[in-house]
Order: sequence, then structure tokens, then C-alpha cells
Amino acid sequence: MKRRDFLKGMAVTGAAAGVSGGLGLLPKSAEAADKVDFGHVKGLKVEVLSETSWFDNAVFKKDLMDYGGAMTNQYKIPWHWDNAGGYMTKITVYPLEGDPKIFLMDTGWNNGWVDYIYDEKSDMGKLLTSKQVDTMILSHWHLDHYWGVESTLKRNPKITMYAPKTYYPEDMALLKGGKNVAKTKDGKEVVINQNKVPHQGKLVLTAPEGEKGTGVYQLMPGVALKMYDVPILLRVRGENVMYFNVKDKGIVTVTGCCHPGILTLNAWARRNVKDYQPYGCYGGLHITLFETWDPKFDDIIKGVKAFKLKKVGCNHCTGWIWAEKAAEAGVPIVKGTNKFKTYKRTSSVAKDSNAFLTNGDTVKF
Amino acid sequence: MSDGRVNGAKFNYILGLINLAVVFCIVWLLWYVFMHADGVMRLYTPMYGFSLVAVLLSAVILISQVLGWPADPAKPLAAGAAIAQGILGAVLSLAVMFVVYYLVFWLFIGKYGVAYFSVPALLAAGGTGVEAYNVQEWSSTAILYFSTAFLWWALVWNLGFGRWPWQDDNRWVVGWSRVFVVSFFSIITFALLFHPHVCLLFPEAQKMVGAKPWWEGWADTSSAFFGLGVVLCTLWWVVFSDLFWEGRPWSWFNREGEGNLLKGVITFLATLAMGLITVYILTAIFNAIWMEPYVGGQYTDGPDWRFIHMGEVAGFCVLFAFIWKYYFNNWPNGLPLLLRGIIRTIIGVAGGMLIYWFYYSSLSRAVLGKVPGWAQPGDSPLVWTLLFLTVVLIQGQFFHNWPLRSAGREEGA
Repeated sequence: MKRRDFLKGMAVTGAAAGVSGGLGLLPKSAEAADKVDFGHVKGLKVEVLSETSWFDNAVFKKDLMDYGGAMTNQYKIPWHWDNAGGYMTKITVYPLEGDPKIFLMDTGWNNGWVDYIYDEKSDMGKLLTSKQVDTMILSHWHLDHYWGVESTLKRNPKITMYAPKTYYPEDMALLKGGKNVAKTKDGKEVVINQNKVPHQGKLVLTAPEGEKGTGVYQLMPGVALKMYDVPILLRVRGENVMYFNVKDKGIVTVTGCCHPGILTLNAWARRNVKDYQPYGCYGGLHITLFETWDPKFDDIIKGVKAFKLKKVGCNHCTGWIWAEKAAEAGVPIVKGTNKFKTYKRTSSVAKDSNAFLTNGDTVKF
Repeated sequence: MSDGRVNGAKFNYILGLINLAVVFCIVWLLWYVFMHADGVMRLYTPMYGFSLVAVLLSAVILISQVLGWPADPAKPLAAGAAIAQGILGAVLSLAVMFVVYYLVFWLFIGKYGVAYFSVPALLAAGGTGVEAYNVQEWSSTAILYFSTAFLWWALVWNLGFGRWPWQDDNRWVVGWSRVFVVSFFSIITFALLFHPHVCLLFPEAQKMVGAKPWWEGWADTSSAFFGLGVVLCTLWWVVFSDLFWEGRPWSWFNREGEGNLLKGVITFLATLAMGLITVYILTAIFNAIWMEPYVGGQYTDGPDWRFIHMGEVAGFCVLFAFIWKYYFNNWPNGLPLLLRGIIRTIIGVAGGMLIYWFYYSSLSRAVLGKVPGWAQPGDSPLVWTLLFLTVVLIQGQFFHNWPLRSAGREEGA
């Protein structure tokens, strides 16, 4: 079959394609015979606590460049602490029956910024302290999603945490109440992260096979978590993705960075989730985060259109450029507002096009 | 018929294996100093390190294959002479790399002509996304692509056209003439296969400068990884036919022992056809493993990654072919050409797969600092493969494969 015919077939009939079980080393014969049915939710609301992982792209890239670029171990770079922000998302799930449940995805980078967001720009601080938020999903071990873990733990050290099993010793040292040090070019040691509150709650280390070989971890009816074991920049590996099955609408994915690729997420769901219907996504989509372009980014625009997603909420590492070009090309990008301008710091790349869901914005599915 | 004897003595395969182990360690040391994520210089950003290695390999090929220095690398040399010449060749290659990379691309062509080849020129241009890190990666990508085109033409010209049409002139006329003709075709190839991709690297696509990638319609990607994959799969058969088949079947078209126009054209077209067939076969294999790719797919789902991965597979096989030639004397040697060519080809593919296995195994995590898994953005096995190949070629060409092939030394079986 020609690729073009195949793609048309996927879009029209829902025939399957894509990675399964992490790195996709699954032959066709091993396609899911029993599709996962993790139930439905009535809907969900995603609030952007913070999508500004860093404020000045140039400073971040200079740090990256000075210490070896995208392949470097993130723990070997003495990052500019004053440039650090963080990525955190509040997800309120409305079940078919009963009270809403709130999840926290990720815990930011700079504790000062995370504390500010938790206490002054949202109710997340109170929700954590009062244990109304008792579950945190760590999407992946990147610095801007994880190194601010103390801010979460000092409010709720017993929070249940789901994190990819593909951690490094430095990651676990921080979680258990430690710190990490990097050397500057002139040999000076700099503390790059610190956590004085060891995690005391349940830690679920996620793997591609999921619970009982289903490929997912069911968090509640209609909500599943899937771990994709993919290699990522800065020596990191593996990402957790949240799947929501909204009744009468379809599948919504919520991601930290979406390193596996938004189409991969939907391709997996198409093959493995019962009665899959494409609906929407929220999160960083990891495309033009460095304000650069590549022919494959045009490919992603075409692919997203072919998958017929109805609501694309994006920010963070998606890159403004991609979001704007995608919107121009007809991708249903959910526009943000100017709320972010009321925050004490804003990103140097923020634009008036509102192609991003920025800090303080909300999207409902 | 070759009996595999080297300098009148049997080849010592144990020494060859030891030599390979030493070269592996040298490559690891170079990797740690220049590329490793926890190493000293960390040039693997990734594109900067990638392009530097590609230009260094191009420099080695330029000197040894295009210019034809030294004239007879297969000739045994006394240890002292081999070492002196080897060091000279390595230093010359590095000098050419620096001159080409920084003077020619950055400060000459890039500054006064095509800006995307030059970090300083791009920085001076300004605009969205123009920061040191981005422009370094952009210019490195362009230089890498040009090197790919150069490597293709250098090797296929040597195999097909040889010294034609300058065979009656002295070796320096031949060498320098080949430099110009290979450069000429490299420029055309770069323009057709890679320039459209480079023009799309920028936040504002350079649509007036570069045509829409012509292959997008059926390759399902605008990425020039398509061209990279095709070129490297073609080079796979250029190298295999040169080393394992000892120049056959192309040498059947020789006239008076020399290459000619007909031989060159046939070699070029036939190896290209073999490359395309290889692309077709690898596509089927990849589809069986990872299923069909689709437009916009990322990681193993991406058509662009599938094409570069074909190139990576080709790279592993090419590396093994040179390893087999230099360290294992191109075994077997005492059989009819058809038989030894078939056996070597099977060994070459199997050896390539062995290197593939190593690169994607947990061993490479310890040795290369690689994150396990396929298709890491920016990561390409080609970087390590080309570095390894460069060291192998420096020993084989400039050192006359010393110490495995030295004058006056008795080599026991």
C-alpha cells in the first residue's frame, strides 16, 4: 500500500498506525487484539498554571550551547537560575458520576516561580496543602518539569506520584531530599537544584507495558496514563501522557512536552483504545521550541490535519511559530488570552497572536 | 587471483583483531574528548559535531581518493616512513578540514555568497531565531549536506571514471582536475537534493531562494533526509563493489586498464539504482518492524527518520567493509571472485548489523553516553560511524595500514 493511500485510509476508516509500547518494536501481528476500555469522563478543564519554563530563550540556548548542546546531560549544566520558570498544569476531571477530581501535572523548575504560581496566581498551593490534590503526574524528568519538586512536596510530601521508570540517580536523589551540583567552565561548583522535603508518598514508576500488560495505568474511570519509552534531549528518557476519554466527544491527550509526537499519541489510541475518536490535546507539543524551523514541522501540520483533531491547545515547547503556522493552515488551535501579561514575568517570545494558551488560560474539553 | 598474502607473508588475523581493538579505543577517546555528552569539548550539539566529522572525513577522502595522495597506499612501507607519512596525512586532513569549514564556508562563501553556510553571516543577518545556538545548527546542517554530496561524487567518480579523461597527464593534473569536477557535481547535487531543505530551516521559509522539495509528494516528507538516505544507500554499493568485488563489474568496462566515460556513467547509474533498490528493501523491513510511517509522524513513525535510518544502516555496512578490508585482509582471498565477492558481501552486511546491534545496545550507553532507544531527536549513529571510518581510513591510506602491512616484516600465520 502506498503511504498516501494509507494516510487517507487512516483518516477515513480509522485503520491503525504508529508506535506501540514505547519504541514501536511491535510487529503488525502483535497489534492489540483486545482494545483498552478505560471508561469515560463527562469532561475536563485544563488550567495553565505555568507554561513558561524559562523566560529568555537566548539565555537558555546559550547555557545549552556553552555546555555541549542538546545531547548534554542536563545535570552537567550550571543553568542560569534567574532565567528559570517551570511547567505545571492543573487538570480538573468531571466524572460521569460523583465529584470532580484534580490532578497536578509536573512541578516546574525554579522554586521561587513555582511558589509564586501556587500561592499568588492559582489555588494549587491550597489544594496541595489541604490534600485535595493528592496525585501528581510527572510527565518526564526534564529540569523544567521536575526540578521544582520541593515546592510541591513542602505542601504535600505524601502526594502520590506517577513518574517514568527511566530515571537517573540524580533524579531520584532530588526526590529523596538531596541536591545536585554542576561545574562552571572555570571549575566552580554550583548547586543547580535542591529539595529539602523527601517524598514520602506512593511512587508509581511507569513502564510502557502499563498495568497487567494493558499498556496504560488507569487513574480513574475515563482517565489513563501511558508511558512512552522514547529518548529525549538532554539525556532524558521516557514520557508519561494522560489520556481522557470524553463521552460523546473522543480522546483528549494532555502532555508535558509530547516528545513522542502528538500523532503517535493518537495513532496509539486509534489502535488500542476501544471506540477511539479523535478530539483534542493540550500541552507542549515539542516542535519549534527554539524558534527555528524544519521541513518535518510542515509534515506535522499536514499530519495533524489528517488526524482531524478538533481542539488543539498548545504552548510551552510547541513553539509560537508552529502554533501560528498551524492556525494559518487550518489546524483548530485554541487561542489564548493576554492574562499572562498580569504575571510578574513573561516570556521573551510571547506574541499578540494568542496562538498559545499562556499562563492563566483555561481550555475545556 | 589474490591469495591474500601481504608483503609475501600470510596475513596475521590476530594482529588485525588487536589493531581493530586499538582503533576502537582511539575512536572512543576521540569521542570522549570531542563529542561525549559528559566529555571535554561536547561538540555533539548535535549538528556542529556531526558536520565537523563529515568535513574531516571528506578531507581524508579528498586527499586520498580525489587527489590521489599517497600514490600507492597498498605499497608496504618501512615503519618509520609509514608513521611519518601517516602523521603528515592526518595533519593535512585536519588542516583541510579547518580551512574548508571555517575559511571557505564560514568566512568566504557564507560571508560573501550563501549566508546559511556561515555562523557569522547568519548572526549578522539577524531576525527571528537568530541566536548563536540556532545559527550554528543551521550552518552545520548545510555543511553536512554539502559534505554528503561531495563524498558521493568523490567515491563514485573514483570507482567509475578513475583517471579519465586525464589519464595521459601526470598524477597532480589528474588529482586537481578531479577536485574540480567532483566539486562541480557536488554543487549541483547539493542544489537539487539538499538546498530546498536548508531553505526551510528558518522561521521564515526562504521560498524565493529554494524550490519546494520536489520529493515531498511521494516521500511523504519535505526533509532532505530522503536524499541523505538515497545517497548513503548508493554509497553502500559503491564501497561494496569497490572493496568486496574488487571493482567488478564496473572494471569490465575499462579501456587499457583505465576508467572512461561509459564506465563512469554506468557505474554512477547502476550504483544509484542499487541504492534505490536498497531503499525499497529497507522501507519494507522498517514497515514490518515499525509499521507504515505517516506524514508528520515523529520518532520511528516519521518518514524523515526512516530515510536517515536507511543511511545509518548503510553507514554501518560501509564502516564494516573498510574494517574488513584493512584489519581482516578482505577475507576470503583464495577463491574465485564470484564466490569471494558473495561471501564478503554476506560478511559485510552481517558485520554492519553487528555494529547496528552495538550502537543500539546498552553497551553504547556506557561507551558513547547515548540514551537508549531509536530515533532520538538530533542523535544519529552516523556521527560515531563517520568518526570511526575516518580513523580507519587515516590508518589504511596514510599509514599504509601500518603496522599490519610493513616492509620487511615476517608475519606468521
